[in-house]
Amino acid sequence: MSVLFPKWMNAFPTVTALAAVGGLASVSAGTFYYATPDFWEVGYMPTQPGGGFNHQIHAGELGMDCRYCHTNVEDSYHSNVPTVSTCMGCHTEGKLAPEWDPGVEKVGFIRDAYAEDESIRWRKIHHLPGYVGNFPHHMHVQAGVSCYSCHGQIVGMPVVYQAESLSMGWCLDCHRNVDEHIVGPSKVTDLVWVEEHLAERARGEQNATPEAQAIIDALQASKAEGGPQNCGACHH
Amino acid sequence: MSGPDQCPSTIGTKQPARDRAATTNGTGARGKQLWRSVDEFADSGEFRPFLEREFPSGASELLKSSRRTFMQLMGGALALAGAATLPGCRRPDHKIMTYSRDVPEEIVPGKPLYYATAMPLPGGGAEGVLVKSQVGRPVFVEGNPRHPINQGATSSWSISSTLCLYDPDRLKQPIFRDATGEREATWDDFRAWSSTHFAEFDATNGRGLVILADAKTSPTRDAQRDRLRARWPLAQFISYDPTGENTKTNGLRLAFGRPHGEMLSLESADVIVSVDADPTRHEAASLKNARGFGAARRLEATSDSMCRIYAAECNYTPLGGMADHREIVAPSRLPVVVVEIAKRVFEATGDDASLGRLLGAWDARGPSPISAEWLDAAAEDLLNANGRAVLIAGDSLPAEAHALVAAVNRAIGAVGTTVSYVPLDPESASDGVGQIAEMVGSMRRGQVKTVVTLGCNPCYELPTAIGFEDAFKSVTNRIVLSEGPSETASHATWQLNAATYLEAWGDVTAADGTVSPVQPLIAPLYEGALSDIELLALISSERAAGDFETQPSGYDLVRDVWRSRFDWSDFEQNWKRTLHDGVVAGTSQRGTRGIDASGELYRNVAGVLGSLRPGPVPTDGSLDVVVTVNNMHDGRFANRPWLQELPQFGTMVVWDNPALMSPATAERFGLTPDPYEVKEPKAQMATITVDGRSVDVPVWIMPGMAENTVVLTQGYGRRVCGVVGSGAGFDVQPIRDTSGSRVYTAATVSPARGRYPISSTQNHWSMESRTSIVRTADLPAFEKHGDEKLKTKDSYGKSWKINFGERLGELAHTPPNISIYENPYNESQADAAEGSWYSERPQWGMSIDLSLCTGCGTCTVACQSENNIPSVGKTEVRKGREMTWLRIDRYFTGDPMDPGELYHQPVACVHCENAPCETVCPVNATVHGPTGLNYMVYNRCIGTRYCANNCPYKVRRFNFFDYGVKRLNGGLRDEIPDGTPTPNNINLIPPRLREKLAEIQKMKMNPDVTVRSRGVMEKCTYCIQRINAARYEAKLQDLENIPDGFFQTACQAACPTGAIVFGDLLDESSKAAKAAKDGRSYALLGYLNTRPRTTYKVAMSNPNPALREPVEDPFHDHGSDGGNDYGGDYGEASDGKAAFLDPSKKHTDDGYAVSLRVLSAATGVNA
Repeated sequence: MSVLFPKWMNAFPTVTALAAVGGLASVSAGTFYYATPDFWEVGYMPTQPGGGFNHQIHAGELGMDCRYCHTNVEDSYHSNVPTVSTCMGCHTEGKLAPEWDPGVEKVGFIRDAYAEDESIRWRKIHHLPGYVGNFPHHMHVQAGVSCYSCHGQIVGMPVVYQAESLSMGWCLDCHRNVDEHIVGPSKVTDLVWVEEHLAERARGEQNATPEAQAIIDALQASKAEGGPQNCGACHH
Repeated sequence: MSGPDQCPSTIGTKQPARDRAATTNGTGARGKQLWRSVDEFADSGEFRPFLEREFPSGASELLKSSRRTFMQLMGGALALAGAATLPGCRRPDHKIMTYSRDVPEEIVPGKPLYYATAMPLPGGGAEGVLVKSQVGRPVFVEGNPRHPINQGATSSWSISSTLCLYDPDRLKQPIFRDATGEREATWDDFRAWSSTHFAEFDATNGRGLVILADAKTSPTRDAQRDRLRARWPLAQFISYDPTGENTKTNGLRLAFGRPHGEMLSLESADVIVSVDADPTRHEAASLKNARGFGAARRLEATSDSMCRIYAAECNYTPLGGMADHREIVAPSRLPVVVVEIAKRVFEATGDDASLGRLLGAWDARGPSPISAEWLDAAAEDLLNANGRAVLIAGDSLPAEAHALVAAVNRAIGAVGTTVSYVPLDPESASDGVGQIAEMVGSMRRGQVKTVVTLGCNPCYELPTAIGFEDAFKSVTNRIVLSEGPSETASHATWQLNAATYLEAWGDVTAADGTVSPVQPLIAPLYEGALSDIELLALISSERAAGDFETQPSGYDLVRDVWRSRFDWSDFEQNWKRTLHDGVVAGTSQRGTRGIDASGELYRNVAGVLGSLRPGPVPTDGSLDVVVTVNNMHDGRFANRPWLQELPQFGTMVVWDNPALMSPATAERFGLTPDPYEVKEPKAQMATITVDGRSVDVPVWIMPGMAENTVVLTQGYGRRVCGVVGSGAGFDVQPIRDTSGSRVYTAATVSPARGRYPISSTQNHWSMESRTSIVRTADLPAFEKHGDEKLKTKDSYGKSWKINFGERLGELAHTPPNISIYENPYNESQADAAEGSWYSERPQWGMSIDLSLCTGCGTCTVACQSENNIPSVGKTEVRKGREMTWLRIDRYFTGDPMDPGELYHQPVACVHCENAPCETVCPVNATVHGPTGLNYMVYNRCIGTRYCANNCPYKVRRFNFFDYGVKRLNGGLRDEIPDGTPTPNNINLIPPRLREKLAEIQKMKMNPDVTVRSRGVMEKCTYCIQRINAARYEAKLQDLENIPDGFFQTACQAACPTGAIVFGDLLDESSKAAKAAKDGRSYALLGYLNTRPRTTYKVAMSNPNPALREPVEDPFHDHGSDGGNDYGGDYGEASDGKAAFLDPSKKHTDDGYAVSLRVLSAATGVNA
């Protein structure tokens, strides 16, 4: 009997199947990696210079207020990353008591940058696309939206990662239900309290503080401003 | 104008345009036909389809040829996409870079800072500006409200100065050239070399050293000049303005015995008679004059008075276009007009018998170019205004005429009221071109060893007849300080990179004498760049041989000069205050009377009257030529794409400077350009010769110009300039003589070989030929009817009232269309239901007063700067792809051979409450907001362009390519006049092949506004980023509402005449709400029921009844109020065709035609 197919054709189905699976996997991976908007990537936790700023120690254990470093958050669109000289406020050599000093291996890069007057190239985690106008941190903080609502439980993060998706739907969830998130300007940086309080409020065990309730009422009374949901509030 | 007739009562009664043109009355507000180009006026069959297309044909074509080419290209692209990986999609690794050790305390990221500084204007004078700085980057220029010239407004020159700062073509470091070639050098090299080189001049007392500088009024530079002369008395320091003889200053020198500048106070004028004057543009006090013009013409109530303007000119100027009575006069005959008016004035006042006699005996060498009635009326108005009148003359008139103008103004009592004089420093008042012509001789003879040029470009901007370039090349040491590449810098032995005014300390004096500090916003971007004063100080300072370190700083230089100049008890405190205010308090001068004794003035003028000789009436064989300037000035602004792409006043031509002729003159010489319906219209090249000197330029027609007159424009055709300006347009310097005068007579014109493509936006973005777009009325009509309301019925049968402005349009006799959509927002802020969107403050709205818009284009440039709007290049404009959100439509009135007023209408998105664009968007990318804004959401847009198609105002712009994120650059070869391919303007490369923006160019971008990419629609946002910033600020300050004037849109802030008002329509006290309720306000195309938030105010004129009977009942409402049956654009019944049978509806679909041809070729079927 003549050979219709050469012998190597026996492997054909297997090879085809493998190639199909591999192809599918690489297309999916490629789509995921290249085509997913980067601001959606919950869990993004890049390696930071010097191992990163440990929020768990500074903001958690030491109880430093967020605004000690993020000084402009109440005044400007941007919540600034602190300058090197802010770090040096504590980490100048010999300034902290020896038992508190984390040592050269941890903060040496800060001292070097300061000596050279050069920036530290922190990697940006929370990133909004270009077609979103500046995210007004000052307005949110003034309205009593806690850092926690967007950045997660920062005080528990040794290395900061992206906690929320930052997609438009996620933004609108909050803008449509302002009553679920507003804690009042005096409490915005008290993240541990905020986490518990919001959870209790969601379960109906707690009411909003009078300060928060006043803001919620005002927002809900105003059609245009009640957590603005019109496109032009963010896109310009 | 053609187009669907919306009025049920006149449907089918429309006359063909040609007949209508013949029957309409060219004068008077009624029956005026408005047109934008001669083609539109003639309404040729081919032209209508052109107008009806939303973008000109070809705009939506990828390539020149066909969709077949497109398929071939796409096939290739698909194959490539399969083979290659997808680059550029990797998650971008963004970095946050903070300040480190030296932290500027005042900088808060996200909050811009504003610094007061001043921009020196070319030719002297200054603008006081506030520069917005974002984290240390200057990004936007606004007018300084405290500066007497600006008072908050700006010019397109100062706004575009940020482009110059971030221009990637700038010189970046010193270059040294000698016989062996060119080498990159450093400033230290130059300092070391110059320390020994300039010391050599000590032996000769400076003989052989020449410094050339641009005309600039700067106390510190003058001090450096004097210091240099003190060390080297024989050194020559020449500052000059190359654009032409300053005849006004020279004329006032003749009249007063010493040079003076003229300060106008147009706000006090009830009558302005302009003889070719152009006070609102390109002058040191232009912004002040424009503001004065605005104040004089502004009408807020029916009882307000309005200034009357007479103009005699050879080509339209902004002032002449607005004039109530305009006459066309050839440039050589303009002095006759001044003399004729003077004659009448002196006859009436009897002020000075001898001057009166001389005027009576003056030889006009031909007939008067203007009728005696016109001159009588103008003179009478001048005399009867009790001094609230002024006669002004332009630079094209000879100095003697300006002296006579000063005498007339004295005789009518205008001095001190509408005009005054500022004494000028004799040196800065001389134009210097004559000195250079002399100096060139000594350069040729080898007597000049070293030439230093500061901020000027004599190899290009001087008349070629002077022969500077060759003489310059023969000088041994040529030191050129220049911001960008230039013809002069390319011949330099030392080519030095200059600092812009945003990078260096300095000072400058404005037209009224106000001294301003020039404070840097940013350190020099490129290695050690120096300003002119720093280089001068370096040259003239005594240094040890080989010293490369000593560098006088501009900061110290300015402070040293100021210490001796200003008598301040506490210098530091005053200095700080001055830096904050941007002006030195108390330096603004009150104008003088020139000389006090009128008799002496008249004697002086009588003495020079004999030398005032007008040219003969120009004829076919002996034409007049005027050399003018526009936004490029002497060519120094040629590398600013915003200015290149700003449609030029009158012609709407971009990127070029064709010679202008009247339609009749062009036709006689066979030089008429292609009609516009030709896809890529070309202009005929012509040779223009004066006295053996000639230039070859394309010819463009300009209605309303004097016959047998050619207008040429300087500043184009730069050979070495950077990618934007090099090769754009034609250099007209070869035609100028060594005196640099502006007017030439006895020129000849002949057609030359070749046709040259010209881009003009005049017919782009036509509003579908709809009518009543620009509405005009005479002052008596407004006085009579301005406060009346006409009762009529709206679309739903309810009675409503319409105001004066609306009665001039369709709404007078037909209710607005009814929306077929169930529009939930089908209400307006005027009658919003309680609790609905439009009932809540703020509701934004804008009002534009057409009486005040001179068409200068500053708003367009301001919008471009604020909103990151790209320039697209000449060929792209030709395809109708220009991106400016705010366009200025220009309409002529009357007959092309003798047009009347020129109307300018700025049109940007009008933010309709019933927006037609919103209903057709398939992806909801354009939607309405609660404050009445029509939003454009870029990230939703998929580029169907349905919205642009459905927009009756044609204000939407589409990114056919990545204009915003790519550079204007490349290496395209385009046709030059004789058709041979040669490198022409290299910015003409197709956008798809353009490089990405240089990093330095990105620094210009406004961080608050998205940079749009390809395939996205965009349009005016009412500066939503500013609205949002104001909204936040008001909340932070605990204000219930945003107060009126809390912020301004970019166009509003920039407008020199104050024609644009923006604000909350529900705020009773706001200017915008008042403007919207004004009797003159009307909604553009309001009968479409779009309910635009931007309203326009009727353009008013104030005719002299002796010359033209004002129309008192101009209405459009079928005789209900005394008018006849037909309003503005409707003629007598004729052909009986209904609107939908209008021949213009038969589209020529180019795409369809092409596909038919392709099909027939493939199948052999004869389609």
